[in-house]
Order: sequence, then C-alpha cells, then structure tokens
Amino acid sequence: MISIPIAILICSVVMLSLALLATRGASVKRELAFRTDVPLYDETSGDPSLCPPEFAARIFSPADWTFVSNEKSRDVARLFQHERRVVALVWVHQTKTAIRRIMREHTRVTRQSQDLHLATEARLVFHYVQLVAICDLLILAIQSTGPARVGSLATYAASLSQRFADAQHALAITTAARDLSNAGTAH
Amino acid sequence: MTIAKLVTVQAAYDDFLQRSLSKLSCDLARLIYLASTRDYNTGSYHHEGLAARFSPEVATKALEIAHRQIFLQLSAYSLEELVEQLRIYFDSSRDGASEILRMWQKLEPYRIAIPVEVNPAVARLFLSNVRLALAIWRSRQEQSQQDH
Repeated sequence: MISIPIAILICSVVMLSLALLATRGASVKRELAFRTDVPLYDETSGDPSLCPPEFAARIFSPADWTFVSNEKSRDVARLFQHERRVVALVWVHQTKTAIRRIMREHTRVTRQSQDLHLATEARLVFHYVQLVAICDLLILAIQSTGPARVGSLATYAASLSQRFADAQHALAITTAARDLSNAGTAH
Repeated sequence: MTIAKLVTVQAAYDDFLQRSLSKLSCDLARLIYLASTRDYNTGSYHHEGLAARFSPEVATKALEIAHRQIFLQLSAYSLEELVEQLRIYFDSSRDGASEILRMWQKLEPYRIAIPVEVNPAVARLFLSNVRLALAIWRSRQEQSQQDH
C-alpha cells in the first residue's frame, strides 16, 4: 500500500513531467518555424494527411548516417546531424498534429451518433493518448540523441498512427451507416 | 473525374513517359524538367506537344501526376542514391559540374521543383537530402583538390 505523501509525490512528478513535455513540444514548434524551409503543417490549410510510413523509415534510417560517416568530413557530418534532426522533428510535429485532427474529427462524429460502443471508444482514446505520449517522448529523444537512435520507436509511432487513422475512418463509416439504418427503421 | 477521362490522362501520362521522360538521363533531370513545365504564377502545367496530342486539360493533369510521382520517388532515395543522381545529372549537363554545384548551393533552384500539394515532412526531407548531397559533392571536390 502506498502512503498518501508518496502518492502525492508520484502525482506531482508525473504532472511536472507532462508539463515539461508539453512546454518542450511548444518550444520545438516555435523553433522549427524558424529553422525549416517548408512551412510547418498548418491545421487549417496544410496537408491534413499523415506522412507515408516509408518516409518515416527513411528519415530515421541509420543507413544514411553510415554513408555520411564514410565520407570522413566533419562539416558534412555536422550538417547531416542538424538537417536530419530538423526533418525528424518536423515529422513528429506533423504526426502529432494529424492525430489530433483525426481525434477531433472523431469526437465530432461521435457527438452526433446515437449508438456508441464504449469498448471501441475506450480503445481509440487509449491509442490516442499513447500516440501523443510517444510523440512527446520522440521530441525529447531526437533532441538529446538524434533521430537514428529512435528509429524503431518512430517506426512504431508511424504504424500506430496509420492504424489509428484507419480505425477512425472505419468507425466513422460504420457509425454513419448504423445511424442511417436506425433512422430508416424509425421512419 | 470520369473513368473515360482517367483513362485518357493515363494514356497521356504513358505517352509523356515514353516520348520525353525516358530520354532524360536520371530522375533528378526528370524532376527539374517537369518542374520547368509549371507556370510560376498559376502553378498549372503546360506542354505543347502533349496538349496537341490529347487536350490542354488532360496534358496538365498528366504532367501534374508525373511531377508528383517523380518527386516522391526521389524523396524516398537514400542519400547515397541521391549523390549518384547528382553525378549523372552533372555528367549529362553541358555546363561544368563545379559551376552547377556552386549555383545549386548558392541559389538552391531545386526548391522550386517541389509539387504544390505535397506532404510537408516529405518536402523537408527532399530539400534536406539535396542540400546534403551537394555538401558531399563539395567535400569530395575539395578533398580531390587537396590530394593533387
């Protein structure tokens, strides 16, 4: 059994970590806006889709780093580390924004629906929270160790976000069809 | 878009691939060529030969698709493959490799080779990779000058 002071301490640490991650995410967004040639994904006018998973694999692949290392140029190595870090951060930021948009769209659809499956909804929310947490973790990891070391986590995030988008899409279609069918029966 | 129109666009795309794009030395040259068929002001594509064989509207759509496809193909290349693409492009050009390299690093003309509707992370990866491939070329040139 955990005592109350320890529980409060654990809660405080968790809250502080979350606040730190959120602040870090916001500062990364500001930093990227200055450091990238292509404007950051804009929720209102940008491409709303997720980045295709094969490009995530390319961004986080260690193969390019091996190639650059063999060139034996300190300037090129430095440029590579800087460039790839920025691209990786753009990818994470875009993924995070896209899943937020998907979740918002899902909330809009479920608000209008009369027949909800609690278990499915809970699973979707769990995936969403997991994805946001992974993205925040990736931001910290990319900034501290570089993108090549977090390749497997990024690939996992890419496939999970794709599954999340597909599940939301399928759910939206099923909900719309069910509501239509219910409306037809009522009349 | 109707199925009949899609079939015509596909035919125009295949025709363009066979008559024009296949004659170019590498994917990088294809990308630069396709980007040059796009109007800077309106963003729409023009190719007289293709428009005469099909229709201006169909030609525009076929060029747009070809541009996007070649761009995605190049963006998925590894850095090593992109460096090789640059080598082929430099070799096939009438201007000297050093001059092209200097201008490309200075003016970054490849920035306007990006299609309009493209994923921002992919666009950023492409720009970054070209910049890196050019830096690798520059470094190789400097090293070979030091060796001689």
